[in-house]
Amino acid sequence: MIRVGGKEHPWREGLTVAELLAELGRAADTPLVRVNDSYVSRPRFAATLIPDGAEVFLVPMIAGG
Amino acid sequence: MSVIRLEPRLSFPYRRSAVERGYTRRTLHVDLSPPAVTVKPVSPEMERLFIGGKGFDLWLLWQAVTPQTRWNDPENEVCIACGPLGGTPTYPGSGKSIAATISPLTGTVIDSNVGGYFGPFLKFAGFDALEIQGLAAEEVVLVVDGIEQNVTLYAAEGLPEDAYALTAFLTDRFAQGRPRDVSVVSTGPAARHTRFGCLNFSWYDPKRKRARYKQAGRGGIGTVLAHKKLRAVVARTESSVTIDTNAPADRERLRAVSRLHSREIVELDAKQNEMAVIGTTHLVTIMNDHDLLPTHNFRFGSHREAENLGQAVFRRLFDPGFDGCWMGCTVACSHGVRDFVPLTGPYRGIPVFVDGPEYETIAGLGSLLGIFDPHTVIEMNFYCDAYGLDTISVGTATAFAMECFELGLIPPEATGGLELRFGNRFAALELLHQMARGEGFGCLVGEGVRRMKALFAERWGADPGLLADIGMEAKGLEFSEYMTKESLAQQGGYGLALKGPQHDEAWLIFLDMVHNFMPTFEQKAEALHWFPMFRTWFSLCGLCKLPWNDIVPEDNRDTPEPAKVMKHVRWYAEYFSAVTGRESTPEDLIRMSEAVYNFQRLFNLRMGFGRREHDGIPYRAVGPVTDLEYESRAERYDRQLAEIHPDRDIAALSTAEKRALLRAHREAQYKRLQDAVYRRRGWTAEGIPTLATVRRLGIDFPEVVALLAAHGVRE
Repeated sequence: MIRVGGKEHPWREGLTVAELLAELGRAADTPLVRVNDSYVSRPRFAATLIPDGAEVFLVPMIAGG
Repeated sequence: MSVIRLEPRLSFPYRRSAVERGYTRRTLHVDLSPPAVTVKPVSPEMERLFIGGKGFDLWLLWQAVTPQTRWNDPENEVCIACGPLGGTPTYPGSGKSIAATISPLTGTVIDSNVGGYFGPFLKFAGFDALEIQGLAAEEVVLVVDGIEQNVTLYAAEGLPEDAYALTAFLTDRFAQGRPRDVSVVSTGPAARHTRFGCLNFSWYDPKRKRARYKQAGRGGIGTVLAHKKLRAVVARTESSVTIDTNAPADRERLRAVSRLHSREIVELDAKQNEMAVIGTTHLVTIMNDHDLLPTHNFRFGSHREAENLGQAVFRRLFDPGFDGCWMGCTVACSHGVRDFVPLTGPYRGIPVFVDGPEYETIAGLGSLLGIFDPHTVIEMNFYCDAYGLDTISVGTATAFAMECFELGLIPPEATGGLELRFGNRFAALELLHQMARGEGFGCLVGEGVRRMKALFAERWGADPGLLADIGMEAKGLEFSEYMTKESLAQQGGYGLALKGPQHDEAWLIFLDMVHNFMPTFEQKAEALHWFPMFRTWFSLCGLCKLPWNDIVPEDNRDTPEPAKVMKHVRWYAEYFSAVTGRESTPEDLIRMSEAVYNFQRLFNLRMGFGRREHDGIPYRAVGPVTDLEYESRAERYDRQLAEIHPDRDIAALSTAEKRALLRAHREAQYKRLQDAVYRRRGWTAEGIPTLATVRRLGIDFPEVVALLAAHGVRE
């Protein structure tokens, strides 16, 4: 099990960030994901595995100073 | 150790004007030669049209200088203002000061937005803005004491040289046991020897028991202060600031909207960018992943070692704790490194607290120089602040010098023996120390990229065309740290910015390159209208932009215009209405900015700039200058060329031919963008506001109309 934005979500071996976003229907509007303390941006979604028990946040990233 | 002496030269008692609806409605003018102090009223028209902050700075500076004024003339001023909302401790990001002057780099007006307590303290001491004019005959310190209700100019001897030690001394000297009541603006020794001296604005951190610093970095305002022999300006007031200190028109309305925004940040920052923990350091790896992190003088946008400079490293290095650069700010992103031990310079081997680094500093002093060692970046950050240098200009100017050295555009002896190659961290540090000592090649680098280009061509016969392509400046200001080759919108964001290529006016790169929010030309032009206008508004009011769009509502993506974060824009309109009593909508905020923005464009025009020809950018900001750059992303460029020229056999062309073809296309696109943006802004094809535009905005003063007529803009 992982937590996404504070809510529980089922985990499976080999789950990538890209697959998680597809499952959530958030692939198009999410440029950045935080997995525990690591920030993963779109070019690395497909290659980044999510570990079991991870805390995941979808970061909107509009911004900049 | 020399004895420190501060002797009063001029004492000016005054009666502190009460703050009412965010304004004191008075400004303070200090002439250093001969010393004189004047208090000026803020007219209702000045308040209505220029709002405050940068608007007040521009209006005061406009009256102080002439088209012939140069940065080092006595009549040039350093202006510092807060804004009507500045100093509110309940609304996040409400403690900004805005400094302005005629820049030693650009020759026209520059403004810089900075944290620290000075601006609000100046206001609470009785003044919406401060003008400093003249050149002192001796080193001086100016103290605006709102508690004693006195302005004092001290002749100074023996003060510490660097900004850290100077601020610590002055805080202790004037605090009368309450260091939180004092904020100091100062610069350092390198500001005397370079054109990109910065100002350090302090606030006192009671937990760490030390002064902390933010920098008004851009454009050499510190250089102007140093040239005036003004070592520092001290503001003192009671630090017991509350929601009532600004005497808002509607206290309960202000409390309600403050609570909404503050709570949202507390709730969402931990789920989003964690700015309260890692500041802006998360941007390093994100930019790197998207090929947008500048490396090696903007040749490339990513590097395999960039992770060494990312948030994972700084998460461990930053000293945990509250790091708000204004009271009550829940973004609290001004982090620092405790007990850092420099390897070089006057603080070698001595533990120091370093304020920073932020993203721009990491990219400018790190990846841009081919340096991927966080400790070197921290050391350079420390010395830039202590010496009074803008980290962005230092980084971009040093990177240019490194590339010129590596390409053989300057001879090895030019650097006095420094092997100024990318990645040579000790050479980069030595340049900084030279800038502080006022000697060696560091002083030449301290002239900035524009003057280095001229010098390298004149003195060593370097190819002016190549220098123009790789020297990353526009309007004389060094680029800040984003790769724009693939983002036409950000090229415009830099090239069409009033002060030069600084991202605060139009940070569009992520919206363009990652979200693809503006795929069409018209959308880019619209973005280059709306975003600079709204972003300008923060500097009119004394606010930080980060609470607007760095932490965004969870339902923002479902709104019609997610890039604008309209829920927050509406909160800002509510905030403005609650403090000033001037009922305002989001559209009103844009109109406020539009007047000041166009006035600044006209200010540029008055100073001999402000036309289409001044909005150009070096080709490296647009596309690959060298074969090396082209071939590093050949697949991307080849694909683009095949789309642009479906009738041509791209594979049959040499790299040089392909570069030329791509260049012709991209430069034409940039010109088209200029046309579209000028139209959208209500400017002529030459980039000058039309008479109809200045009339619509209410800035059709007789001198403005005459200025337009002198440039052929009439009915």
